[in-house]
Amino acid sequence: MAAQPKPIPMHQPSYLEGGGILSWLTTIDHKRVAVMYGASALIFMAAGGIEAMAIRVQLWHPDNHALSAATYNAFFTMHGTTMVFLVVMPLLLGFLGNFLIPLQIGARDVAFPRLNALSFWLALVAGILLHLGAIRGGLPDAGWFGYANLTERYFSPGLGVDWWVIGLLVSGTSTVLTGLNFLTTIITMRAPGMTYMRMPMFIWSLMVTSVLILIAFPALTIGLIFLLFDRFFDTHFYVASAGATPILWQHLFWLFGHPEVYIMALPGFGIISEVLPTHARKPLFGYPMMAYSMVLIAFLSYGVWGHHMFATGMGPVADSAFAITSMLIAIPTGVKIFSWIATVWGGSLRMTTALYFALGMLLEFTLGGLSGIMHAAAPIDLQQTDSYFVVAHFHYVLFGGVMFAIMAGLYYWWPKITGRMLGETLGKWQFWLTVIGFNTTFFPMHFLGMWGMPRRTYTYAADMGWTHLNQLETIGAFVLAVAFLLFYINILGSLASRDPASGDPWDGRSLEWSIASPPPAYNFATIPQVRGRDAWWILKYGRAGSRGVAAYMSGQAPQNPQADLPVAPIHMPAPSIFPLVLSLGVGTMGLGLIIDWYRIILIGAAVMILSVIGMGFEYPDFGEQSHDPEHAPSSGGIDLRKIGVWSFIGSECVFFASLISTFIVYKSRSIGGPGAEVLNIPLTSFSTFILLMSSLLMVLALAATQRGDRLWERIWLGGTAAFGLIFLAGQVYEFTSFYREGMGLTTNLFSQSFFVLVGFHGAHVAIGVLWLSVLLAAAMMGKLGKSRALSVELAGLYWHFVDVVWIVIFTLVYLMQAVSGA
Amino acid sequence: MIGRNSSMLAALALAGCSAKGRPMTTLAPKSDLANWIQNLFIQVTLWDALVLTIVVVGFILAVFVFSTRVGEAAPATTASSDLGLEIAWTLGPALILLMITIPTVRTIFRSQPATPPAGGLEIKVIAHQWWWEFQYPDGLRTSNEMHIPIGRPIRLELESGDIIHSFWVPQLGGKRDVVPGQINQLTFIANTAGMYPGQCAEFCGLSHANMRFRVFVDSPDDFAAWDKAQLAGPVSAPVDDHAAAAGARIFADSPCTTCHMIQGVSKGYLGPDLTHFGSRTTLAAGVLKNTPDNVARWIANPTDIKPGANMPAMLLPGPKMDALVAYLESLK
Amino acid sequence: MSEAAETHESGIRHPGAATYLIIAAFLIVLTVMEITVFYVHPLRPVLVPVLLVLGAAKFALVAMFYMHLKYDGWLLTAVFGFPLLIAMVIIAALLMLFAYLAHHALPIG
Repeated sequence: MAAQPKPIPMHQPSYLEGGGILSWLTTIDHKRVAVMYGASALIFMAAGGIEAMAIRVQLWHPDNHALSAATYNAFFTMHGTTMVFLVVMPLLLGFLGNFLIPLQIGARDVAFPRLNALSFWLALVAGILLHLGAIRGGLPDAGWFGYANLTERYFSPGLGVDWWVIGLLVSGTSTVLTGLNFLTTIITMRAPGMTYMRMPMFIWSLMVTSVLILIAFPALTIGLIFLLFDRFFDTHFYVASAGATPILWQHLFWLFGHPEVYIMALPGFGIISEVLPTHARKPLFGYPMMAYSMVLIAFLSYGVWGHHMFATGMGPVADSAFAITSMLIAIPTGVKIFSWIATVWGGSLRMTTALYFALGMLLEFTLGGLSGIMHAAAPIDLQQTDSYFVVAHFHYVLFGGVMFAIMAGLYYWWPKITGRMLGETLGKWQFWLTVIGFNTTFFPMHFLGMWGMPRRTYTYAADMGWTHLNQLETIGAFVLAVAFLLFYINILGSLASRDPASGDPWDGRSLEWSIASPPPAYNFATIPQVRGRDAWWILKYGRAGSRGVAAYMSGQAPQNPQADLPVAPIHMPAPSIFPLVLSLGVGTMGLGLIIDWYRIILIGAAVMILSVIGMGFEYPDFGEQSHDPEHAPSSGGIDLRKIGVWSFIGSECVFFASLISTFIVYKSRSIGGPGAEVLNIPLTSFSTFILLMSSLLMVLALAATQRGDRLWERIWLGGTAAFGLIFLAGQVYEFTSFYREGMGLTTNLFSQSFFVLVGFHGAHVAIGVLWLSVLLAAAMMGKLGKSRALSVELAGLYWHFVDVVWIVIFTLVYLMQAVSGA
Repeated sequence: MIGRNSSMLAALALAGCSAKGRPMTTLAPKSDLANWIQNLFIQVTLWDALVLTIVVVGFILAVFVFSTRVGEAAPATTASSDLGLEIAWTLGPALILLMITIPTVRTIFRSQPATPPAGGLEIKVIAHQWWWEFQYPDGLRTSNEMHIPIGRPIRLELESGDIIHSFWVPQLGGKRDVVPGQINQLTFIANTAGMYPGQCAEFCGLSHANMRFRVFVDSPDDFAAWDKAQLAGPVSAPVDDHAAAAGARIFADSPCTTCHMIQGVSKGYLGPDLTHFGSRTTLAAGVLKNTPDNVARWIANPTDIKPGANMPAMLLPGPKMDALVAYLESLK
Repeated sequence: MSEAAETHESGIRHPGAATYLIIAAFLIVLTVMEITVFYVHPLRPVLVPVLLVLGAAKFALVAMFYMHLKYDGWLLTAVFGFPLLIAMVIIAALLMLFAYLAHHALPIG
């Protein structure tokens, strides 16, 4: 370690101090939540790594029987699922994102701290559910991509796929809540002066990633819900004999799956964009282009999902379109690589393990990007897809790109998180072993793929010429395993050591380095004023000395200009047990559904509902008082709850878009039985008027509340809820009349996609009615009124959204009933 | 590490293009389709090599030449943006991608003709968990070994009997998924005689790794001869071969007949057609060589060789097994 | 109820009851037009474009006035508009992709 600036001489009790186990179970401190995310992800990483090693042992020689076919299939399924959902995303978002967002934007916590804790506990429950198959019914074994119709009950009769469906649904919910929380936090809780173009690039990456999450995950959720209906309620969403097509799953899965690649990659890019400038003592090169290129990548990432499906026969026009969009995405990615190199260029490099991993990432990720261009060229992809070439490609992206970035980030921020340094010698050993092991394992896979070895095969023949490279790869995998072993030894050793880290061990540039390591529970004694990019650097060295080298070389320790400011009383949110209890309820429900025991489902549901009510009563003023009221939000005065609700509504757009497209496509593929002509236009016209009028009553209620008119507030709120109930009654009547006429859920493709689409809309209306009832009760008790107008407005936003969804359904489903989707 | 990789790339690229010892290589194309893909692959690889070189050179200069280490005198440059550079590294890659996109789109359209080519041979391929069925327009049915003539356009109509599989014979071209409820096509003209192994490329459950097959590209005369022999119906067990004759009776009375067809003997259709079983080089979807020992091993315990296979194990005393095997092998 | 616009807690002005009632009238008229188009058979050839326009108009009215996007600034419009754009692209793309399948790759019978 080079000489470090002196630690800030100020004792602050850290967030890690105090409290027993219970204080961790009930914590809503973003830093403690982050630590729990990190700990669980590092445990899952060991599990996923052991699965990978078992895979490599099995492939050591042809016709090997070290693992059975069943075990091998379960292992590669769990390796992929674990690494994507339980390791990489939790490490990037749950661990580093959670810990650093408030610290880098100068806030005391995230926007919705209880929701944040809920995200973690749901993620942990999901991870456990995904592994419960080991105890009962078998581990998931249909691949992390779970292609239909292999996942249908007929072809996968065990419980493995059931665990997988439920586990991913819970995990997805957790991730969407995180995305919503992060987006709201970054938009509303930046310290005064931190404009968008002054945010650290890691924050930019997480903001874009949050949007990606909100838009991408609903497609997966819908795909999983169809699968769940197929497996549990005998529908045929992916059964060809009913006219359906398993290709639908692939579209929904990759609509999620390709943005998911960037959900993992962008935060990695963000980390590199933090580590390089700090370690080169130079601002990030081309900051605006770096930010815009991420936005562009995010936008394009929704137009490229088809490049995972070139072999499925989409036709030459679609193949060409997806090939071109996929090529386009290489341009902003190239901008990032070149800008990183330019950041290092002319730098004064601090050669730490973090920088080693960041520099390693530049080269390894470039290789992954270049092989990606080959796959974008659709005809080449037809040779390479589902071969080991693709395995090589995405490991260069996800390991060479993302895992290297995660390691850089861990070595960089570990002192901030734990207050302890990681061993540099051990770190450098880990780095070189990782580079050697990683390239020895994965580079030969390009050749195995070009030589025709298909992926996901538990064995291979001796006469294919694949044996030697497989053996080389297995050796490489063991080297890589040793590297990870060193990493675990390093972090455990660091935690046991008494070698404290200073607040600013790398002479950092962003605000997290302005406070103690580990930070106090409230992060910032005084919310900092931001005067430019690299806020902390400017505070330390002033704007003129933008490199600060002169001050540094003269041995002058940077001063904390905020240390002397008076500290105002800090209001921190109270801990809550309900996120944990609610997650346990959700987990219990999933468990009950799979082991087919209705009493367990009911218990889980009861726990879930009670904890939702409990959460509601925890803060009697209906508000998430997460940050002190004096802390002026930097977003032009928009309340954070409003951003949260709008983010949720945005996410719901994709949820309903997936349902609506499925309905239109399946309506025209439905075989036999009733079709759209059975839909009752007079009844639904009436329902439409009712719902439109309920929206009118809703805005009138809001206007009354804003005026402080208590009487009309109650009347209009009650009226809105009543109209909602009338709408629901109409829907119940419609559904039961269909059932009486013999059109049930499983009758044909039309009926199942109709019932699921309209049923999910109905469920939204029902939740809206409940929400309105709670507001009405509050109004009756005199707890609403002018100052709480926002509570009415938020319920109104949700209610109107349900209304506009109905406008779309009424038009596309009912009035266009005679129009064929094809 | 890049330097090592790229020199490795060069060395292995030379060694890797030969099909010798690597019968499933994609780098030794034996059809028009595979050739087009190979040409495109070479173009993209060269562009990739150019970009990689630029990145690696830039990286080396940035890290080892134009930067110092902390504690040393800092370099003079402090630029944190440069419009000219940034435009260059946006437009440069865009131009390269355009150069790649044009031949890509051309190859996409060329390789997916909307209508079957004139004078082509249309073969229906049905994928099952875990074996392949091939149906020729003249009524010929065979399993796991497909024969096609050189120089004649081949149009494969791909159908699935259960779930998604993927048809892949690397030397003859890229893969095409076999999707239930959908007919996919693969069109190509093979140009070199030989045996080309293929394999299912889409994960299809327990024995995905054991769903292999072979394509024999024959001269037109050889193909005609093969076609004639296969169409000729079953070879009845020779009278002088007592073992085979006994085996024929064992087969006729066995549950085998439920699933396997031998023309004139049984009508099962769930498993492969065995009418000309003896003429095939492999069994169990390309997993085992077609030898009497292997056939006996397979009949005695199919799931040992192919986990999850539907075929039940048949325990026969030694002599009876030998007779059954002799009968099957006689079905040339 | 007066026409006086209400002031939001953060100073953003929301429209009053009169505006809301006018919008409701528009919504009803548009819905009546939609149902008319459905029942009047001579209009069948233009059914799809007319319904799409009318439906989009209703959607826009509710979003702009009842959900206050017209008044609340660009940020909320962006938070809603970007996913909405993606959602529409998804619907259009999926319909085209499956239309191709239906015409080119479905087994006969």
